[in-house]
Amino acid sequence: MFTKSMRMCALLLALMMVVAALAGCGSSGSGSENGDTDNAKKEPAYKELTVYSALPETELPFYFNAFQQDTGIKVNYVRLSAGEMLTRVKAEGANPNASLMYGGSSDTYIAAAADGLLEPYTSPELSNVPDEYKDPDGNWSPFYVGALAFACNKDWFEKNKLEYPKTWDDLLKPEFKGQVSMAHPSTSGTSFSILATIVQMMGEDKAWDYLSKLNQNVRQYTKAGAAPPMEVALGEAAIALTFAHDGLKPANEGYPIEVVFPEDGTGYEVGAIALIKNGKAEEQENAKLFVDWVLSQRGQECFIESKSNRLPINVNAKVSDGLKKISDINVIAYDAVWSGENRERLVEDFKAKIDNAGSLKE
Amino acid sequence: MSKPQRFSNFRMLLNQPALLLTILFIFAILIIFIILPLINVFRLGFTGPDGGFSAETFIRMVSDPGYQKTFWNTMKLGGLVACISTFVGYIFAFAITRTEMPGKRFFRGIATLPIISPPFVLSLSIIFLFGRMGLITNKLLNIDSFDVYGLGSLVAVQSVSFFPVAFLTLTGILESIDDSVEDAAYNIGASRWHIFRTVTLPLSLPGIGSAMLLVFIQSLEDFSNPAVIAGNYSTLSVEAYRVITGMYDMQGGTILAIVLLLPTLTAFAVQRYWISRKSFVTVTGKPTQKRRKLHEKHIVWPLFGACSLVSAVVILLYGTVLAGAFVKTWGVNNTFTLEHFKYVFSMGWDPVKNSIILAAVSAPISGLLGMAIAYLIVRQKFFGKKIMEFSSILTFAIPGTVLGIGYIFTFNHEPLLLTGTAVILVAAFTFRNMPVGIEAGTTTLLQIDRSIEEASTISGAGAGTTFRRVTLPLLRQAFFSGLVYSFVKAMTAVSAIIFLISPKWNLSTARIFALFESSQYSGAAAYIVIMIVIILAAIALINLLVNLLFKPKYLKRATTK
Repeated sequence: MFTKSMRMCALLLALMMVVAALAGCGSSGSGSENGDTDNAKKEPAYKELTVYSALPETELPFYFNAFQQDTGIKVNYVRLSAGEMLTRVKAEGANPNASLMYGGSSDTYIAAAADGLLEPYTSPELSNVPDEYKDPDGNWSPFYVGALAFACNKDWFEKNKLEYPKTWDDLLKPEFKGQVSMAHPSTSGTSFSILATIVQMMGEDKAWDYLSKLNQNVRQYTKAGAAPPMEVALGEAAIALTFAHDGLKPANEGYPIEVVFPEDGTGYEVGAIALIKNGKAEEQENAKLFVDWVLSQRGQECFIESKSNRLPINVNAKVSDGLKKISDINVIAYDAVWSGENRERLVEDFKAKIDNAGSLKE
Repeated sequence: MSKPQRFSNFRMLLNQPALLLTILFIFAILIIFIILPLINVFRLGFTGPDGGFSAETFIRMVSDPGYQKTFWNTMKLGGLVACISTFVGYIFAFAITRTEMPGKRFFRGIATLPIISPPFVLSLSIIFLFGRMGLITNKLLNIDSFDVYGLGSLVAVQSVSFFPVAFLTLTGILESIDDSVEDAAYNIGASRWHIFRTVTLPLSLPGIGSAMLLVFIQSLEDFSNPAVIAGNYSTLSVEAYRVITGMYDMQGGTILAIVLLLPTLTAFAVQRYWISRKSFVTVTGKPTQKRRKLHEKHIVWPLFGACSLVSAVVILLYGTVLAGAFVKTWGVNNTFTLEHFKYVFSMGWDPVKNSIILAAVSAPISGLLGMAIAYLIVRQKFFGKKIMEFSSILTFAIPGTVLGIGYIFTFNHEPLLLTGTAVILVAAFTFRNMPVGIEAGTTTLLQIDRSIEEASTISGAGAGTTFRRVTLPLLRQAFFSGLVYSFVKAMTAVSAIIFLISPKWNLSTARIFALFESSQYSGAAAYIVIMIVIILAAIALINLLVNLLFKPKYLKRATTK
């Protein structure tokens, strides 16, 4: 008897699970629509915004919470890498699930604009942004800059009694053999920026010559752009070639990392934000509001609070202590448009001439 | 099959409307959730700039010597891992089902542990232990040039990650081999080794085949381990992903993924053909005695040693993760803290909750569907059976990234507008995780003599009753494997969901990845520990439910006493 009733209970429980599952499936498709319209009825002014973001998960709450405090608009987000974000927006095509792309290098946005995925918007706040960072077509807006740097493992340099590299040529020193980590330009926007910077600084012939020498010191070309600073943090390599804000990320967690900017000039990235074409109609105003807010002094100074080490693009915004301003760094006149146009060719050349990844050689 | 025969099959189906409806229903959902997305992926791969058919990208990718090397790399890795994992899995399964080895429950736990965490965690603990600053290589052995990246580490990590799949499949098989066959051999004086070689091993061959197939495919489509630890050893799934997200070349990446389908489908076909030529009926319905377990010391202790060794490796790897969850900054500041757990339980609980809900919803659907399909494939005759078998197991061979893209392309328009909802995630989980249940179900069913079910039908039970009252209880172990696998994979999926999660339905694995990216290893470790606890609890619950529901009465009486 006992086991029989137990059995019935279990059967009922299982049945309920299945029914609940089916009901959940059936209703969440149509139900969510109802839910949305209900909300809209209760509150005439739409108070939500949906965002795809390539900024690190750890920083996002700082920005979104501050924005909600200022405007009452709640931001729902999905965090993706820049490439994933672009793929997703492309795949969603006419029916995007978000209204904004937020974060990631301008080259992602140039590619997105070329595919007609962006809705042009010119924020009034752009008047406080130097022209050289802006998109002339107004498809996207810049909201931070970050310079390329050498992220060094402090402990390794102390242990080996060596000095940090100060110039690009310093990286070729024999004592750094197998200690330099960079991502593969074919997978990482960061690494492509490095490649483009070197080519723009040295001219193509000298650049390939330099890169093939550097190749001797490179431990491996990692797949993810985020990997080199991680490797340096963990002591797998001594020097990572990366953007300063990415290089300093592990330092926030207590890892022994310091960044050095090359004295003989360096490239930079412009982080961008843009409206997605055909985004949710009811969110359009909120999306524009968010772009304005991100570019405003208030939004820009959130970089300090979030310990992002990103450099604000608004000339009025303050910079966190100890962080070098872009004007204090020797940056080259980096041509992002040229880089974007030559991307495929440069990457193919890199694979053919330099890459020591066994699988791609031969 | 001749025409009249086919016709008579069809007429038999017409007499069983419930069965016919079930078949039609299953076909419908297979077409919508598997075939359609796949067709869209192929269309994506083979559409030229003018919108017509074009094989240009295909030819460009396939003729590239770099990608050819990648292809062989992937095959080599898959082959090595399939052999090692199945071997280890068999040792565990045999020792647990056939001997009186001490600590069986412990070993069973160890053998299921690796599938319950996002696998790329193992890669990280390998770096922590064996990297240049690694605990073992550097601190213990004082080597600072050991190269942890590459094929060796990859094989090790994947073998540890995937041997549980082999173990679960093989346990199901070994438990369903009737004791009396082995006992009979023993009683007429055969040695243990002889019995193993001539009875147990041949009877478990279909299981070994399935296990190798499953592990091989898993290794091929594994994304997170090679992405972290492969170094310069490139594999197709990672390459497909990096072509799509790094070079913005969706078509090229899709082609690589299509190329990846080729070996997995071949493996599948070979295994089917091979199994179909042997008969493995051992569960006959005739009375059996309780199994006489092996107790000879010279058999038990070597097995015990082997299991202990593997367990030690697993514990070491997971111990590193566990330790990492309780320190301030993994690798640098090793003071004890609970702050990471506080964070997960306060700020970061939503994704965990979402993961649990979606896994709990998709697991029973996927488990029952899997058993139903296995039953139809093995026991019923109908037109399109091969197609059903083939398409239902297909998702297992599709890399997650590609399934995700196929799903977005398919379910982003009316009338199938599912993006942004939980349904698309549940569907992805259900259909992606179903094949393990189907595999376990079919291999088990192949061993059960048809006459048991026929007896039920003859006594007047319909196909549905027979399935529920006779077949399903016999499939208990396979059903359990299917459920556990579905639940766990739904909790730990990474590459399949990256394009499907939405603000409302963010999942914990995506959160863990994000934490890794910002070097918060300890935070990630805390999430992982919590997820492991949840999954363990869920497995216990599933075990309880499955046993309560489907355990045959005579067995229940034996255990409740």
